[in-house]
Amino acid sequence: MTTTIDAGPTPGDTDRPSWRSSWRLRRDPMPVERGLDLIALWHLVGAGLALVGFLAAVSPSGGLPGSVRTVLVGFWAAALVAHVVAAVGVRRRARWARTVSVAVDYLVFVVAGVALLHRLGLFTGLNAFADGFEDAVGALAVVAIGAWWVLAARAITRRRPVTTPTVRALRIAGWAVLAAGTVVFLWQVDLPGGLVTAGERLVEPWSLAVAGLALAAGAAFAYGWSAPVADHLGTTRRQHEALTGLLFLSPNILGFLAFFAGPLMFSLVISFFDWDAFGGTRDFTGFGNYIRIFSLQFTDAGTSDALAGDLLKPGYQELMRLDLFGQHWLIGARDPLFWTSLKNILIFLVLAVPLSVIPALLLSTVLNSRLAGMRVFRAIYFVPSVAGVIGITIIWGQLFSSTVGWINYLRTRIHEWFAVLPFVDGPAEPYQTPWLSSSSTALVSIVIVFAWMTFGFNTLLYLAGHQAIPKDVYEAAELDGANAWKRFRRITVPQLRDTTFYVVAVTAILAMQQFDIVFVLTNPPGGPSNSTLTPVLHLYNEGFKSSRHGYASAVAWVLFILIFGLTVIQFRRQRESAR
Amino acid sequence: MSVVRRGPRAVAVKVVTYIALVAVAVVVLFPFLVGLSIAFKEPRAVFSYPPTLVPRTAATGTIEGVDGAVPLFELPDQDGTFGLVEDGVSFGIYIDAANPAGEPLQLLQDEVERTDRTVVVDGEDEAIFTPNVDGAPAELIRLRTAIGARFQNTDDPSDVVVGLVNTAVPAEEVSVRARNFGDVLDRQNLSRALTNTLLVTSLVVLGQLATSILGGYAFSRMRFRGRDGLFLMYLGSVMVPFVVLIIPLYQLMVDLGWVDNLSALVVPFAFTAYGTFLMRQFFIGIPNEVEEAAMLDGASRWRTLTRIFVPLAKPAIATLATFAFLYAWNSFVWPLVVINSGSTSNFVLSLALQQLGGRAQDAINLVFAGIVIAMVPPILVFLLAQRSYVENAAGTGIK
Repeated sequence: MTTTIDAGPTPGDTDRPSWRSSWRLRRDPMPVERGLDLIALWHLVGAGLALVGFLAAVSPSGGLPGSVRTVLVGFWAAALVAHVVAAVGVRRRARWARTVSVAVDYLVFVVAGVALLHRLGLFTGLNAFADGFEDAVGALAVVAIGAWWVLAARAITRRRPVTTPTVRALRIAGWAVLAAGTVVFLWQVDLPGGLVTAGERLVEPWSLAVAGLALAAGAAFAYGWSAPVADHLGTTRRQHEALTGLLFLSPNILGFLAFFAGPLMFSLVISFFDWDAFGGTRDFTGFGNYIRIFSLQFTDAGTSDALAGDLLKPGYQELMRLDLFGQHWLIGARDPLFWTSLKNILIFLVLAVPLSVIPALLLSTVLNSRLAGMRVFRAIYFVPSVAGVIGITIIWGQLFSSTVGWINYLRTRIHEWFAVLPFVDGPAEPYQTPWLSSSSTALVSIVIVFAWMTFGFNTLLYLAGHQAIPKDVYEAAELDGANAWKRFRRITVPQLRDTTFYVVAVTAILAMQQFDIVFVLTNPPGGPSNSTLTPVLHLYNEGFKSSRHGYASAVAWVLFILIFGLTVIQFRRQRESAR
Repeated sequence: MSVVRRGPRAVAVKVVTYIALVAVAVVVLFPFLVGLSIAFKEPRAVFSYPPTLVPRTAATGTIEGVDGAVPLFELPDQDGTFGLVEDGVSFGIYIDAANPAGEPLQLLQDEVERTDRTVVVDGEDEAIFTPNVDGAPAELIRLRTAIGARFQNTDDPSDVVVGLVNTAVPAEEVSVRARNFGDVLDRQNLSRALTNTLLVTSLVVLGQLATSILGGYAFSRMRFRGRDGLFLMYLGSVMVPFVVLIIPLYQLMVDLGWVDNLSALVVPFAFTAYGTFLMRQFFIGIPNEVEEAAMLDGASRWRTLTRIFVPLAKPAIATLATFAFLYAWNSFVWPLVVINSGSTSNFVLSLALQQLGGRAQDAINLVFAGIVIAMVPPILVFLLAQRSYVENAAGTGIK
């Protein structure tokens, strides 16, 4: 009790913490002073463990790849510093010490706990669980029926308390169904077997150590969180609220760090490396990947049939030839496929965005009227965007079939109908356009599927925009004798300008990432002769077919920056119109 | 446009409007109809031209005096439906010796007796045949023989016609082949993909609900340093396309040993900035007094959240659950990347269908049955949750 720095209650903090009342009745299991000394000691032990980890990570003999080592060194160093700070703070009984100590304990608890669960095979065991789950679906249905039964019985008795033997028997039967279904389900997913496996792994020394660490941290956390400690260290209500807030946010934030922020940074880092995810080459190349992406070479070929190999620098391949002002230009690139994919996606954007947005604008105007049944149409139009892109794309693949597809068949039929007219000849033979296997039509086919899938969603965005148009504007125009087309042209379109901008941006951002339709519809994906290769497909090929993960990351970042550009334009626009 | 008018012109406008809306609806629904029809077709019927919406198959029927079912045909120049009773019979084509320009007759070889007499036609001797049929002794000469089939009229078994099989048109009947669904589930192991998808989707939905409700509550109801900055980061993260994360997440899965593991489809997707945002927006709308009253009664934060906020937030929770369900059920790129050993036991539906569509071109009807199976749950969920889902989708612009 000697070194406590007691700042005393500051003016803003004099209010009594609200949590006190609920904990007042609990008895202290031991004097808080002793408990705090124990906590400080625990943090010192933790610091020692972190130091060991740090030294192990720094030593080059560990055989760990560089990247993992860097992460580990950082991790252990942070743990070391945090533990030391917490130990010192608790020893000095500082008011902020509870926050630091509890936070450190919590993090250690979570990290050790997750590591333990990983070691016990909880995550990798999901495959084994799925093995049994296939057969256990029936039992799961029984569980659902039982749960429904119990809930229904409870709802009924709550409304009108009846306790006849029949009702009681029904309720018990519900519980019985639920219990029986659960037992069968757990048996079929082989819970006993899983527990045995987990138990076997738990008794290995390393698992026990990690489990001990998790337990110690958990106990320290629970103690540090408790009211006597909070009282003793003079925790303010605001500090407690902040801690509670962070605790509630922690699952979210830890997941965000592990599966979003961390990977995002990591992808930026490896875009400067020659990187193979499986641990082959991992060499720093600086901007090498980005330079390779953008490297272009323009040469005057002299004649139109000059060989590209003679004119281009080593590492460059022919991208295209241009005849401009009487000169034969030969353009080479180090990654011609990237430029091809960029060209394709631009064509795709130019075609797909209007095809998706303009029908949406027209339809939303109609749907916004007060006619009956608009809800039904709205729902129908939306179905393609929820039905699942793979199924939809396979169906469209059949529609596009050159020999037995509906599209060619309907074209033939429509042509035949028109042949009734004078001067129109019927089709000599059925249309057999090879939509997907001709490089002149494949991209158009993708555009059609994309627009068909997305226009319903855009209609919805437009409908939201329509809500913002004041009704009296239309009424005034109507009184002035403006017809429907004029009202659409002069009121709806200008009033919806911001919405249009937003819809175009959203659709363009979606289109820029086109991958799945192309992947399913074309064979080989991106074909024929790369006429449907998109940047994401190029990235996929580079990363997962050629194992050039560093280069693929660089492509991803280039794409990200392009998309981000669109977003920024959209945001700036939105802010301007908000003013 | 809110102005409602009456009169014949308004009616005409209405009719045109509905025609246009129905036309678009047909364009939207037609591919689904095609998919549904192929899912019920025979394998061969998928590749027949012209394509049909109604699944049909070659018809069979029974004929009096003939054992078993026989394939049915329509014959040129004959009324009624005929059953193919005997294949590979030899028959002859005969004409009347007296009238060589008349209709040729097709008769079975056995039923025609050859005589010794001959007649000269075009300077050649031709044998004269007398048929046994109808009693009337006609004198015929044979033009040629052929191998064909014997058909019998289904309504009148005595009406027998012989002829070439390839001039007969197979009769078709509507046939709904429901066993495609069982076949694709059993033989192509799609049942495993279905239960895997069910498992993964449920876990993702539960995970997203848990983390989003907790996070949204913290963001909306508790003050701590850096909260608003953190929230802005969450908002900003929505703009980062998933493309950028594919490779580092894959590396993470390699390091964790989760490649080709269903955990890789669940754990990284149990956290959602969008869902957190959605829940926060909803919780912010709940009056402070509600919470303060509960806290005065001594309820903890946890109790307040689970007993007061969660029941109040049912609409937002339903919306988030719908979003999560549709996202997880339909996701394709990530399973394609991370479930890559080719063992079908770890497939989810989208991946299984893509692989099946590329591989089983001969059993495309089964692939389509699989597509129907994969499409029904998301469409049902969408229709059930339609109202709130549609409003929220329009409000935030995120799919």
